[in-house]
Amino acid sequence: MSDGETKLHVETGVKTERSAESELLLDLQDLCIVTPARTLVDGVCIQVRSGRCTAVIGHSGSGKSLSARACMAVLDVDPGIVRGTLRFPAFSGDKDWFDGVRGGGMRAQRRLLRQTRTLRGKYVTYSPQSASSALNPGRTLGWQLKMAIGRRDQAPADLGQEIAAILERVGLPPRAAASLPSELSGGMAQRAALAIAIAPKPPLLIADEPETGLDPVLRRVVTELMINVAQETNVALMLISHNMETVERVADEVVRLYQPSDTHDSFGNPKEGVA
Amino acid sequence: MSVDVQKVRRTGSAWNTAWLIIGLLLLAAFVAAAVSAPERLPSPDMDHLFAKPWEVPPFGADTKGISLVHYVLQGAGIVLGPSALAGVMVMIFSAFAGLARCAGVTWLDTVLQVFSEIAGALPRMVVVLVVAFVVPKEYVSLYPLAIAWAILAAPGAMDEAAAAAGRLGGARFVEALRAHGFSLTRIYLYHITWLNLRSVLVRQGAEVLMQVVFLEIALSYLADFKRQPALTRPELIKSWASPLYDGFQSAVLFGETLFKEGFGKAWEVGVTSDMAMLHALVLGLVLVALVALMAQAFRLAARQR
Repeated sequence: MSDGETKLHVETGVKTERSAESELLLDLQDLCIVTPARTLVDGVCIQVRSGRCTAVIGHSGSGKSLSARACMAVLDVDPGIVRGTLRFPAFSGDKDWFDGVRGGGMRAQRRLLRQTRTLRGKYVTYSPQSASSALNPGRTLGWQLKMAIGRRDQAPADLGQEIAAILERVGLPPRAAASLPSELSGGMAQRAALAIAIAPKPPLLIADEPETGLDPVLRRVVTELMINVAQETNVALMLISHNMETVERVADEVVRLYQPSDTHDSFGNPKEGVA
Repeated sequence: MSVDVQKVRRTGSAWNTAWLIIGLLLLAAFVAAAVSAPERLPSPDMDHLFAKPWEVPPFGADTKGISLVHYVLQGAGIVLGPSALAGVMVMIFSAFAGLARCAGVTWLDTVLQVFSEIAGALPRMVVVLVVAFVVPKEYVSLYPLAIAWAILAAPGAMDEAAAAAGRLGGARFVEALRAHGFSLTRIYLYHITWLNLRSVLVRQGAEVLMQVVFLEIALSYLADFKRQPALTRPELIKSWASPLYDGFQSAVLFGETLFKEGFGKAWEVGVTSDMAMLHALVLGLVLVALVALMAQAFRLAARQR
């Protein structure tokens, strides 16, 4: 592996009693993304199964968020994807979404973005690092939940009741539906972001460092809440984090992304015990 | 437990709606006046020189007996197009700056910053006067001045729009919305521009619209005062500055007499005498106030909840 490349190491642990035979929802294989200057990620493989929590960990700059964006087909890196496959077996069978995108540059990535629009927000939802990025400051939480629920195949019988139920599930009072994001505290905003992410009832939720910017107590509360909600709603969770304590506690599977400095000593030789 | 779905929409308050209605009514009146403006003023009428509003309704007549209604209509005709153009230009500039910040295109941000610094450093009034003198006399119009004013007013508006977009989260906000499956067109036009930048854009546009109207009045007033050709309009067309200028002479006379001979004489000379034109001053000031009210109404109607 050359300089600048990222190495992959997969550890599998069993934190829940759920079957390892559960359905494969996301299958990203051998992802390699480059810019003219350097290789951003190389050889990343991530699989997410229904009802399970897969954690992606690594230091800052190791490509966690980039890999997550690749999983959602949201990329704007030139020339971008040069190797790798992306499959959503439960949604589109064996179809490789990166077919025709590898080496195709920005134009191909924009085409992919259009093709996968119906997939995002329905099959896979996203909870960004900062809750404020997930919430539109110009609209109430209830309105945003209504939009998210609207992505379901089947509309709920009683929309008001459904919004109240989702809010209750994430620990927010129903009156929060009439609040603008600026009227919510940091913890409430994080819960609101989670509510929007689970509202379309997606099989897969990607949470990008949900603990960022929260105090230690709230950090634990939000993570526990995310895990509980994912279990209750049977949503597979792909958790991006650099907090080992959290990951060890909640993840069924761990994908660890390394940077060259992690995998090689100062002479460029692989460190002992690193794949 | 259920949530009232109607309440979650939380549209503007009753005040927002009231201000919008006031703004639209004033704009409609402004447009109607501009559209119905006569091409030329009627001939002087010796029977109605200096006529008061009760003698020649609704606004009285000028020093030549011409009804001030014609001045109101022609003045609206001069300023409507250029001021609206300037307002729209500033809104477009601001929206572009806001969207550029959200797009996260570094080089575009740099280009806009350089433009802002250069345009922002130019003395606005001097540039406008240079533009006014550069335009050949036969093509004299408020349009080039309004365009110059809009370009020079744009940096402040662009900075504010970019800051508002930055507070949204910039590129991260766009990325989160893309991850929710929204198309880029919907994200930029609806989620960013309509839902979040609207109040900034409308306020900036309304302010520049108002400024261009006041610019025309100021330049025309100066031209009248110096007995020079106007820089914003052909000589045959009259601006809102004309009643202001005529009225101001009466106001000065009123003030002088007030100090020298007391209120009774001042009232007689400035208001009730045959040559008093204070009604024209009042009309001019009311027109200025209505334009300011219209801009303020749109600003308040679009303000963020």
